[in-house]
Amino acid sequence: MVPCPHCGWRPSTEFTWGGELRAVDAANVESDFARVVLPRNVAGVQEERWFHLLGCRRWSTVRRDTTTDEVGR
Amino acid sequence: MTGSLRLGRRRVPVEDGDSIASALHRAGIRTYTRSLKHHRRRGLVCGTGECPNCLVTVDGVPGVRACVTPAAPGMRVDRERGWPSTDRDLLGILDRLQGLIPVGFYHKTFIRPRWAWRVADRLIRATVGVGRVDGAPGAPGAAARHLHRDVLVVGAGPAGRAAAASAAAGGERVTLCDAGAIEEPPADVEILEGHAAIGLYLGPMVALASAAEVVEVHPRRVVIATGGTESFPVFPGNDLPGVMLGRAAVGLLRRGVRPGKRAVVVAVQEEGIEHLRELDAGGVHIVAAVVPPALASAVPDGVRVLAGAEVVRAEGKEGVRFAVVRDADGTIRGLGCDVFVLSTGLSPRDDLLRMSGPVDPVEVVGDAAAAASPTTSTGAGYVCLCEDVSVGDLERAWDEGFRSSELLKRYTTATMGPCQGAMCGRHLAAFAAAQGATANTASRTTSRPLARPTPLAVLAAAGDEPIDRRTGLHDVHVTAGARVSWSGSWLRPFSYGDPDDEYLAVRERVSLMDVGTLAKFLITGPEAAELVGASFPVRLDDLAPGRARYLLALDEAGYVFDDGVLCSLGDEGWYLTSTSGGADRMEAWLRDHADRRGMRVHVIDLTADRGAILVAGPRARELLAGLVDQPIDAHAFPHMEARELTVAGVPCGTVRSGFVGEIAFELHHARSRGPELWHALIEAGEPVGIAPHGLDALEVLRLEKGHPYIGQDTLPDDTPAKLGLGWAVDATDDAFVGARAIERLGRLPIGRKLVGLAFDRGGAELRGIPLHDGTEIRGRVSSAARSPVLDRTIGLGWIRARDDRTFPTELRAGKVRAEVVPRPFYDPEGARLRG
Repeated sequence: MVPCPHCGWRPSTEFTWGGELRAVDAANVESDFARVVLPRNVAGVQEERWFHLLGCRRWSTVRRDTTTDEVGR
Repeated sequence: MTGSLRLGRRRVPVEDGDSIASALHRAGIRTYTRSLKHHRRRGLVCGTGECPNCLVTVDGVPGVRACVTPAAPGMRVDRERGWPSTDRDLLGILDRLQGLIPVGFYHKTFIRPRWAWRVADRLIRATVGVGRVDGAPGAPGAAARHLHRDVLVVGAGPAGRAAAASAAAGGERVTLCDAGAIEEPPADVEILEGHAAIGLYLGPMVALASAAEVVEVHPRRVVIATGGTESFPVFPGNDLPGVMLGRAAVGLLRRGVRPGKRAVVVAVQEEGIEHLRELDAGGVHIVAAVVPPALASAVPDGVRVLAGAEVVRAEGKEGVRFAVVRDADGTIRGLGCDVFVLSTGLSPRDDLLRMSGPVDPVEVVGDAAAAASPTTSTGAGYVCLCEDVSVGDLERAWDEGFRSSELLKRYTTATMGPCQGAMCGRHLAAFAAAQGATANTASRTTSRPLARPTPLAVLAAAGDEPIDRRTGLHDVHVTAGARVSWSGSWLRPFSYGDPDDEYLAVRERVSLMDVGTLAKFLITGPEAAELVGASFPVRLDDLAPGRARYLLALDEAGYVFDDGVLCSLGDEGWYLTSTSGGADRMEAWLRDHADRRGMRVHVIDLTADRGAILVAGPRARELLAGLVDQPIDAHAFPHMEARELTVAGVPCGTVRSGFVGEIAFELHHARSRGPELWHALIEAGEPVGIAPHGLDALEVLRLEKGHPYIGQDTLPDDTPAKLGLGWAVDATDDAFVGARAIERLGRLPIGRKLVGLAFDRGGAELRGIPLHDGTEIRGRVSSAARSPVLDRTIGLGWIRARDDRTFPTELRAGKVRAEVVPRPFYDPEGARLRG
């Protein structure tokens, strides 16, 4: 189950995964390169984006433990 | 209810309570099928619907498990393997020729000459065939049903019923399912009989299949109570008809059929002793009971006890004749019998559990949670009944270097048959461990859906219906005789019959095209301009209301993922059209940026709401002049502008743009008014020779203009510069998505680019062919077509730079000469387009 800001907790099959949460912009070209090309890829809790594709079509930022798939708001 | 079923030409009596297997057994049938590779006789083994030995064809439906399928008078039952018959099978010779078909033979034989496999393939199919399907499509199935519950209990044995009852008593909404019938269902529990759990997926979601439907259950937690499968010991002759598991033997007895006259029974646990008692009381003469010393006292009086003896082998030709055992003191004994009953403990049916992830709320109860009995193997005999794999086969595979349970599985196909490893999975792991594999390489093989065999027709019912997207003009095209087919998820007309004339209509007269499939967005709200500016590399400061501009969509790495046309609507916001297939991605992408930047913007997807008709050709203006409510001459309505027009009474947001290179108007209208508008345009266009065109003609038209399809002519890491579209990036802006990447990439030389190609012959078939310079492959043709107006073959393709950073200009696609030429090929100044 994945939390959606509009619909509440819904089955994960209704969502698409949007990757780990990244800053919208970076200060300079070099840090932007790292932001785009080098994901942190943590083993543990990370913030990531989920899109409620088969629902209300809103995005939410979700905390997920990448080692256990445990999901929290 | 009594009567008879037909087995071939025989009539077999059926009594109340019979399964197909018990009716056949009563009639003296012992050979139910032949084995997959060696065509050995195979008889009833598990009696619980696991093993492959009793698969028969019932009323034309193959793969029916005779042991768990109730018999009914009038049924027609056919055995599936053997030629000319299962009883007298000449292919039984294969058993003597095992050396010719060693383990993994299909990996190393029939490779050369190349025709050998085609011949062998047909022969092999004929010999291993497991019944026939008629090939006719099934009835259109119901879609999958979804259930949202608190608890799903899989398996309705004692443990499953208890778990369901206690969850229901606690106030939870409970569904209890079982592959068979459910006796004594607990109160307040939803019952699904005949529904087997075939897979456990993330969520958790458990898919259930019955003969008629698939149910996807989304519970908060899952209780697995699938019980256990009786262990199948491995010894020489363990596959002879008459060698059967305890549950199969008592199952026959409970249906009033004696499994045999003289039985040797192996019992290692309490359940085995109960089987022994039941057989003894049921009138089967027990020749001997082979039990561990601790259970010797539990054997009923009058039965000969062989305490601590071990099974050596079973002997017999058409069925078991002797059970050979070694006494505790080492004496070898042959015990005459016609049924050899094995009750050697349970193997938990844990395949569903092994599909679950570490945090899935899944618990296991009953026998499915019990520790497995140790596997027993004498070092020879059949490990996998389904795929006919013996211990010797595993040894050969091990010697050939397949030294883990996963590799043994793939090479020998053990565990891949109808039982899906229920009988043999533990043997495979135990074999690998005994050979010295580490814990990692001797593990159980990965468990994946489907856990139980499921008819394709049932799975098809559960499949997603292809979303048949049609524009509002679909029926108009069909009525006009168009050839309509899929383009992405849309059904679109490819041709109305004469693509050459459709092409000429655009170039010389006037034509229509249904472009309602375009992705269409209204971007509005107080910060709409900020979102558009921050998202796309398009220049906005000089894009006055009523003007339109080509736009690229870049990802953060500066790679082009879509393109489109943006119209400024002034205070109302922006109207964006983009590639048909990219609508979902474009919407998600825009919403992501708006959301992360906290912008007050509405992104409204109008794709399904609005239809669009392209009117294109040198006489397009002439056609429209009589239908519109305002002047549309080149001065009043120039190229790349947008207006609200009323055309034949239908309000249309109209954009002068076009892919085809002629004077063109895109009429965006309310979807419901599409047919009315289309018919009015066709009628008005008749005097000037109007003819609508489809995707076939469009392919030639857009190639003449050198327009790439994003996704077809481009690669995922193409930048605007590589596509020759650098002009579409606003050089004065550095605050769009991908800006920094473009800046960085701009410092590097271009190693690959998309170019126009002119060929000395050929047509569309050149698409996909590599381009070479005589020594090296330098690129690939991405699109090609024969151009009537240029009278030559043109195309697009990408080419790589040489080491000195220059690009080749003369190449070959196979033997066809290809010259790199400037784009567009047709009307390079765009005079006709602006018209």
